[in-house]
Order: sequence, then C-alpha cells, then structure tokens
Amino acid sequence: MSDLLAARAQMALSLGFHIIFAAIGMAMPFLMAISHYRWIRTGRRVYLDLTKAWSRGVAIFFATGAVSGTALSFELGLLWPGFMEHAGAVIGMPFSWEGTAFFIEAIALGLFLYGWNRLKPWTHWAVGLVVGISGVLSGVFVVCANAWMNSPAGFDWVAATASTPGHAINIDPFRAMFNDAWKAQTLHMTISAFEATGFAVAGIHALLFLRRPSPFHREAFTIALAVGAIAAIAQPLSGDLLAKGTAERQPIKLAAMESHFETSARAPLLIGGIPDEKTGTVRYGLEIPGALSYLAHGDFNAEVKGLNDFPRENWPPVAPVHYAFQIMVGCGMILAGIGALGLFLLAFKRWRPLLYHRRYLVPCVLATPLGFIALEAGWTVTEVGRQPWIIYGVMRTAEAVTPMPGLVVPFLLFSAVYVFLTGVVTWLLWRHIATVEEKYPSAREGA
Amino acid sequence: MLFVVIAFLGVSLFLYCLLGGADFGAGVLELFLGKSRQEAQRKIIDKAMGPVWEANHMWLILMVVILFMGFPAVYTRVSVNLHIPLTAMLVGIIARGCSFTFRHYDAVKGRSQRAYTAFFVFSSVWTPFCLGVVMGALVPGGIDPAARDYASAYVSPWLRPFPLALGLFTVCLFTFIAAVYLVGECPGDDGLRRSFARKARWASVASIVSGWIVFAGAHADGVPLLAEFLGFGWAFAFMTAATACFGVLWVALYRDWIWTARVMVGAQVALILAGWFQVQHPVLVRMPAGDLTFFNAHAPAATLNQLGGALLVGSVFILPALLWLFLVFKSEEGEEKPVVG
Repeated sequence: MSDLLAARAQMALSLGFHIIFAAIGMAMPFLMAISHYRWIRTGRRVYLDLTKAWSRGVAIFFATGAVSGTALSFELGLLWPGFMEHAGAVIGMPFSWEGTAFFIEAIALGLFLYGWNRLKPWTHWAVGLVVGISGVLSGVFVVCANAWMNSPAGFDWVAATASTPGHAINIDPFRAMFNDAWKAQTLHMTISAFEATGFAVAGIHALLFLRRPSPFHREAFTIALAVGAIAAIAQPLSGDLLAKGTAERQPIKLAAMESHFETSARAPLLIGGIPDEKTGTVRYGLEIPGALSYLAHGDFNAEVKGLNDFPRENWPPVAPVHYAFQIMVGCGMILAGIGALGLFLLAFKRWRPLLYHRRYLVPCVLATPLGFIALEAGWTVTEVGRQPWIIYGVMRTAEAVTPMPGLVVPFLLFSAVYVFLTGVVTWLLWRHIATVEEKYPSAREGA
Repeated sequence: MLFVVIAFLGVSLFLYCLLGGADFGAGVLELFLGKSRQEAQRKIIDKAMGPVWEANHMWLILMVVILFMGFPAVYTRVSVNLHIPLTAMLVGIIARGCSFTFRHYDAVKGRSQRAYTAFFVFSSVWTPFCLGVVMGALVPGGIDPAARDYASAYVSPWLRPFPLALGLFTVCLFTFIAAVYLVGECPGDDGLRRSFARKARWASVASIVSGWIVFAGAHADGVPLLAEFLGFGWAFAFMTAATACFGVLWVALYRDWIWTARVMVGAQVALILAGWFQVQHPVLVRMPAGDLTFFNAHAPAATLNQLGGALLVGSVFILPALLWLFLVFKSEEGEEKPVVG
C-alpha cells in the first residue's frame, strides 16, 4: 500500500465513520423535539418515554461523533499538511464558525441531557432545539469547506516556480466560504441527514412494533417516518440542483458519475452498466435517450461533455464513482417511494391504520440501512469524483499528502479503532433497545 | 486583530488546561480510589463531569481552529513532525470520550462497566501525557523541517527529556486540578471530601516533584529554562507566585475553603502558562533554522480579521451559554411533571 493510498484510505474511513454520527447528530434532536413538544402539550406518558429513550441512545452517538470529529480536525493536518498550509487561511472561516456551532451544541446537549427537572419545560424544549439547530449549522459549515474544495473561490493561486512553492494570494475568506457550490451541497447533505436518520429510526421501531405492538413504537415509527419521508421526497429536487451545478463546475465528475465517455448532444441517462475505463465503453447499461442532457442542462438536446474530452491524468476513478452514484440514486428512489406512500397514508385518517399494517412495516424494516448507504455512496461520489484533485483544478491530492513514510501504520490503527467502536456502538444500541420494554411502561402496553 | 487572535489562543489554552484538565484528572484519580467506597467516589466523578465534559473539550477544537486558520504554518509544521504523538493523543481522546459516555449510558450496568472504566482510566493518563509531550516538543528546537531521515524528522523532536518530563508534569497537574475541584463536589459527605482533599495534597506533591523533573529535563535537553526564568523578571515572579499558591491551597484544603482552593488552582494554571508564555514569546515553534513566531507565521490580514470577528461574535454566544450550563448544574433538581395518560 503506497503512503498516498494509505492516507486516502484513513481519511475516507474517518470521514465515513464520522458522517454517520454527524448525520444522526443533525437530525435526531429534531425527532426528539417533536416528541418532547407533544409530551409538554399532551402530558401523555408515551411521548415522555420516547423522548427519554431516544435521548439516552443519542447520547452515545453524540459522544462518538464528537470525539471522531475532534480526531478529524487533527487528521486534516496529520495527513494533508500541504493542503492545510494553504487552505487554512482561505477556508478556515467556515471551520471557525463550525467550531462555534459545535461548542454551542455540546453545551446545549449537556443542558438537555441533564436538564430534566432542572429547567422549565419549555426552556428545556428550546435547549433541545438549539442542539439540533447548532448541529445542522455545524454540518452546513463543514460542507461549505468541502464545497470550496470542489469549487475553489476567494483567492488567486500563484503556481510553483523553481524558487517558490505554489501559494494563494488576494485571499477573501468570505467568497471562499460562499463559493458557487455551497448552497446545493449543504442543502443536499442536510436533507440526506434527515432522510437517513428518519428511515433508520423508523425501520428499527417498525421491527419492534411488528414483534410487539405498543404505543411507544407506533409513535416513534410515525414521527421518524414522517421526517424521513418529507426529506426523501425533497431530496431528488436538491440532487437535481446539485447535478446541474456539477455539470457547470465539474463536468468531468458528472461524466464519471454517468460513465459518459464521448461528448454528445442528446446524451442518454445510464442506469446500471459496467464501465470499462480502458476501452471507454459501458456494458449492460440501460440508456434513456436525452435524459442526461435534460438533467444536466435542462434541455434534452444539450451537449454533455464526455470523459474523453479531458486529459487522462485528470480522470477520477470512473467505475467507483459510477457505482456509488447508481447506489445512491437507487436507494434514494426506493426511500422516496416508501416515503410518498407513507405520507399519503398518514394524510388521510381513514387510510392511516394501513401505515401500521405488516405489508407496509416490512418494507420499512428492510429500508432501515438504505438512507445511510445512500449517504455514504453520495459522499463517495463527491470525494472520489473530485480525484485526482484535493482542491479542484488547483492542487493534486498527491501534492498535499504528508511526507511522513509508513502511513499504513496509522491507517491500520484507526481502522482497528473504528471497527472496534462500530462493534461496541452497535452492541450498545442493541442492549438499549432490548431493555426499552422493561424501562418504559408505554413500550409494554398493547396497541 | 492579530492580538485578539493570540489572546483567544491563550484563553483557550488556559481554559482547556483548567476545565479539560479537571476532566482528565478525574479519570486519573479513579486509579487511586482505594478499597473503600469506590462506587460512591466514582458516582461523584460521574455527576461532576457528565454534563460538562463535552463542552470542556471544545476548547481544544477552538485551539486547533485558531492554529490552522490563524497560524497555518505552525499547524502544518507541528502536524508533520509530531505526527506520532498527535496520533497517540487522538486515539486517547477517542477512547476516553467513548468509554466515559458508554459507561454512563450502557443500558445494562453489568460486567462491561469494568472494561469501560479500564479504558477510561488508561486513556485519562495517556491523553494528557501525549498533550504535554506535544507542547513540550515545541520548545527545545528538535523540530527541523530540513531533517530527512525518519528518526530525526518524526521521532527525535518529541522523544527527548523535556517533552517527556512535561508530559509527566501535565498528568500530575491535571490530577491535582481535578482533586481540588472534586473536594467541592461532595456536599454533605465529609468522608469523601476528606478523601479527595487527601488526594489533592498528594497530587500537589507530585506536581511539585514533576515540576522539578521538567527543569531537569530542560537542562538535559539544553533548554536554559532555569536561567531564563531567573533572568526574565516576570517569568520568575510568575513561578514564585505559582509556588506560593500551594501554601494557600494546603491551608484551604485543611479548612474546607472550597472556592479559595479552586481560585488558587486556576491562578496556578494561569501563572504557569503565563510564565511559559513569557519565556517562549513570541516563539511558537523553536526550530534550528529560524523559529516560527506569532509575527512571521500568521495568516494574511483578511483571514485574521475574519477569525478575530468570528471569535468575538462566537464568544458572545458561547460564554453566557457555558456559564448557564455550569449554573444549572449547581442548582437543585426540581419535581417531575405529572403524567396524564
């Protein structure tokens, strides 16, 4: 394993691990706020139980997210000093705001978790909401920084010469943060957090409800499903916005996502298919004529640039980006379908009992991991699709990596830590779920 | 704005050492709980740290952000040459935060508690030790950007007497801070209070001894620490005052003057850092071919203005919120809202 590959693998692993906890940290407080609101309003036991049970589970995820996020703020420098040396001054602003938001989140979380019986009910509720708002904001700020890597702005780059290394001048941190990609990317990421968390929580409670119907699991399922479903229906729209922007800013990434090798007008949308980078062909794909042109440029006859228009050394790895994109879209479609049906059933009182019918719950159980699979796949698309660049068009990933040899050692170390932690967190969640009935009365009564 | 940024860096470091330090130290203290009343002592620690530990560690994140936005050259230099101790510290941070939370939130309080505690205690010693090593490695000038072979570039900058001694001192000092803090966290239980006060006295002895080891380490490393302290008027005054605080502290611990003791500990940490600052200033990283200083390693003015602005605005939100958090957990618990159906 080369040092560059080890560094990339460690970064991918750390981000891929952290993103799950970050997404839960963004969305879960809002689910709790809904349940908490109902508890204060109705005084019904089930909402109190639910808010408490969720918050106990979530505390575990929060802590894991906080420490893995702390690790990431160091790993950026440990692995990519060449990047941070120049990017720090340009794109530090969203990081400094992220630090602030994260701080507020940690304070509010402490207040929320330990604030039962110490804060007035509505104050306590508002503090819970602050956890969610600051969680979403810190996610938005971090994704702003990532958007800048895809769509660099707010500086001029002086290329390296024999005597001086490359460096940034005329730095404008404000323009760097609010680059062309920030809106679409932050929107897409934020919605995905709600979609993934909503469906994962709904799926778990659907399973428990199937095993033993109770008001606890029914209410939990309903709240989580409603949040996940709204997000799942909104997500294709934000995805479209992002795809159109990507077509403008990073045509090569879009070409890789679609395995689109030859520039053509009326470009087809490829569904499935096995791309072959060497020959520039795709086998077994299903093509929808003109659809890619429409999605990328809003016109069925528009020209879409193909990979062959770009020098070979600037290609991202085509197959992984293509597969990841297909997986993301596929999972997203399934969730949008399940979500639309769910919202329909929920909207009409006479159909609502069908929401808790086996025929609907079982697909929900099966869909439990799909949101997070889509989230990871989407992250792969944006990160691997940007390769070989770390700052698109400005700095190559290979130029940014630390000179320290033997990076395979920290990679293996972090892999071991994260694999172990994943196991422990899963086990803890299972133990938490297994004791819900014993701890919370509303999880015992029949529905 | 450069001075605003430097001030925030200093304040963050101080608060991290004090609040984060108390948090780390509480973990170290679990090593010395003794045979009797282990559970009660652990409960005190859990109760005192549970609501605030995440917020206490945010000061570290703030320091990292200030460094990489305000002083990117320092952040990168340190990240490259101190990769090994930094990675070791990260593993400690992860293990510590997770095991502490898992211990509290595991739905079944069974045998697994012992495993969490073991991880928690070990990482509570390990992490501040690594932190001290990293801080110490900035001083003796072992970080050399020109070094090419593995040992001199990545190992010898930190594997030397001064950083190791500072790591040891950090652990002792943090334990001391924690013990003094916890003395005030067991109201109505004289036995526990006396036991934490006894630990505080032992930790103060350990801090003084390890403080002398730091001076010895400095001597062995060619850092003229003692001479510098004696030469610079202020640094000498700071250190003398810090040592004098021990005297007041001992009395305060015997007499149960809880807030006097806490203020003294805070003053000590501030004085030690001020003394260190006085000796180092304006150098951040000492290097053979030209040091990185506050004045030659900072980001362009546009960036510093943004950073300073963000810190000033951020502190308007953070500081009152933090104060509220601490106050709420000093208040008594109220009644639970009644359940209707």
